[in-house]
Amino acid sequence: MRITAFLLIATGLTAAAQVRHEDILKGPGNDWLTYAGGFDGKRHSPLTQISTANVGSLTPKWVFHVPKANGLRTHPLVHDGVMYVTASNTVFALDATTGRQIWVWRDTRAKKEGVNRGVALLGDRVFFSTADVHLVALDRRTGNLLWQKKYGDIEKGLFASAAPLAVKDRVLAGVAGSDTGMRGYVAAFSASTGEELWRTYTIPGRGEPGSETWSKELLDWGGAGTWLSGTYDPELNLLYWTTGNAWPDFYGGNRVGDNLYTSSLIALDLETGKMKWYFQFTPHDVHDWDAQSWPVLVDMPWNGRPRKLVFHANRNGFWYVLDRTTGEFLRATKLVDKLDWATGVDAKGRPILVPGKDPTPAGNVVCPGVRGATNWMSPSYNPVTGWFYIMTVEQCDIFTSSAKEPEPMKGFSGGGAGKNPKTPGYFVLRAFDPKTGERKWEYPMTGPMEAWPGTLSTAGGVIFSADDEGNLVALHARTGQALWHFNMGETIATAPITYSVRGKQYVAIASATAVFSFGLFEPAKPLAQPAVKIIE
Amino acid sequence: MLAIMSRIPYVVLPLLIALPLGAQSGKKKNPAIGNPAAIEAGRTLYMGGCAGCHGQGGQGGRGPNLKGRGMWHSLDDEGLFKTIQKGVPGADMPPSNLSEDQLWQLVAFVRSINAPAVEQKIAGNPQAGEAVFAKAGCANCHQIRGRGGLTGPDLSNIGGTQTAEDIRENISDPAADWNESYRKVVAVGRDGRKVEGILRNRNNYSMQIQDAAGRIHLIAIGDLKEYSLDRRSPMPNDYKTRLSRQEMDDLVAYLSRQSMRPPETDSEKGSN
Repeated sequence: MRITAFLLIATGLTAAAQVRHEDILKGPGNDWLTYAGGFDGKRHSPLTQISTANVGSLTPKWVFHVPKANGLRTHPLVHDGVMYVTASNTVFALDATTGRQIWVWRDTRAKKEGVNRGVALLGDRVFFSTADVHLVALDRRTGNLLWQKKYGDIEKGLFASAAPLAVKDRVLAGVAGSDTGMRGYVAAFSASTGEELWRTYTIPGRGEPGSETWSKELLDWGGAGTWLSGTYDPELNLLYWTTGNAWPDFYGGNRVGDNLYTSSLIALDLETGKMKWYFQFTPHDVHDWDAQSWPVLVDMPWNGRPRKLVFHANRNGFWYVLDRTTGEFLRATKLVDKLDWATGVDAKGRPILVPGKDPTPAGNVVCPGVRGATNWMSPSYNPVTGWFYIMTVEQCDIFTSSAKEPEPMKGFSGGGAGKNPKTPGYFVLRAFDPKTGERKWEYPMTGPMEAWPGTLSTAGGVIFSADDEGNLVALHARTGQALWHFNMGETIATAPITYSVRGKQYVAIASATAVFSFGLFEPAKPLAQPAVKIIE
Repeated sequence: MLAIMSRIPYVVLPLLIALPLGAQSGKKKNPAIGNPAAIEAGRTLYMGGCAGCHGQGGQGGRGPNLKGRGMWHSLDDEGLFKTIQKGVPGADMPPSNLSEDQLWQLVAFVRSINAPAVEQKIAGNPQAGEAVFAKAGCANCHQIRGRGGLTGPDLSNIGGTQTAEDIRENISDPAADWNESYRKVVAVGRDGRKVEGILRNRNNYSMQIQDAAGRIHLIAIGDLKEYSLDRRSPMPNDYKTRLSRQEMDDLVAYLSRQSMRPPETDSEKGSN
């Protein structure tokens, strides 16, 4: 059997092995081709080999230690048995069955180091961003450099950490840096040449609609970073991208107004970048509550008629249902119990504020904390249960403010936030029924509040995630019952994926310094060594 | 944005910001840096006073390796100057009595042995080197920006990752590289089917081969009846004699310009 598998692999990688737009469109299967699994961001795999019945016998298959890594946020992609992972200014291609390195590419002259969330795949190409904002295209098979394009200046407060998103013939990339002053944007590039096709700023230019929501002097530095890539609806040809906090993070006296389009979800036309609609979750944010969490695209009946919806779990403590064709607000539900800055949202989705919850020079306790009620810890949607799975955080922090004149790129964020010793916080993985907003189950976790773990849903009925103690965990999708865990020994700041090679399903995730892959237990067989001839 | 950063803005962020800005301080380079005459003068000084501990090629010995990236990355030119001038207290490296000009010549030499080629002044003509690259058949195996063969290492960023000296050595003496990667391998399955290509990795349990079309083959060792690995470099070993000195200089100059990033110039640094 194994030789058959070998020959299939040996002869199966032909031109058909190209990653086509249509392949990504189909969503995850044996491969995991884009950060959120598919364009809809559901992070749900149809693989069933690992199920609630056998996940208890999951074992590590391999570990790839990433040299010099610390705090990895890479999110593996897998195509045809090859896994692509990133570290700062570095891409690795690994044998996804063994963890053995096939190639590595490093940008040794990048002017900045930083976290990186992963690559995009299209055709025979791998795309990723360097920390100093170059988009790089490599040959997927060899790691050879094909082109690179600088698309932002670190001298203007920018850096890059997001995995790009490849759609049709183009690659979308964003920028980070909202905590020290910058102006965010999403840009589209030709996948074949790197030519920039369009750029849409997430803070309006002077005189443009929305600029009236700002003090003029902060229009060039007001933040709204785009440090998590987005999702895509092929029928509407719309991209859904979330934006970061307004700057200065914790003091809004110099930026009176809603500060569009910070802490928002924006819908962009793929061809032109034109903003079709926006929805701002936290107008005039002063708690550093970026909106960076995956917009999950779900089609389901709403008030008796089929609708194209987008779910968004927000750092401000609510999770939202919007109509993704129009941006119409439909419902917001409390994600967490510790939520005291708003009593709810009004009919248009605007938060109903509780007075006195802004940061103060002396410090003000506010819930959720600065980490948010959730964050980039990817949620998932399981079409079998019909439930939405979200890693939530029950935490309050002490928020302080400073009215000092804002100075971009000087480390000034208008204040800060620190742990409240009385409410140290804890993680809770929760299942919600989107039809009603009802919590179906929850799984509280212990830990030091250092993790950032996302979720993965599978047709085997297992929800994979990680806890705040370095364990990869498997929970029952319907009950939340813990079925299996494995102590990876390090803080986890990314989300698991699943894939299949030669008929065997794997679950993979990065820890702080390594990439782990797990599969069902199989007893080892004695190895028949081949005859080896070394010519020297 | 990132909560972990926001929670410690007063302490950590200034440090984070200081690193990139500090690396772009806008200081003018000393004219000795990259100046061939200064480098040669520095080489003479180095061989007389430094090579005993740091090795003739800077490879290290009693003293640290000066060619390693960590060394040149962590010290800027002035840092290197001061280290040579004042020595390293508590270590064996003594202070120096050399003049400032001589110290800068030494800095220029050390930079020349460890700076990536694109940052170095190269004697040859890059345009002429491109013709040599074509004539010598380099593109049969090597790619630059997606053009060329797939069986040799990519050269698109070679000037940004290797010194000119290392590029020259790799062309002149390819056999000196004992890395198994890119060596020819032939693997035969237990039913006699064969995969030929270049080795990407191997151990006792698996092997990763890239064939001539670039396809990756993931092979479990237990599935193989036999395999052969030719550890000799497939690169022709006669370029040292086949190319004239001028052609070699030109080829090195051309490859030195193959860089993902252009050389840094003073105008690029510290513009704000």
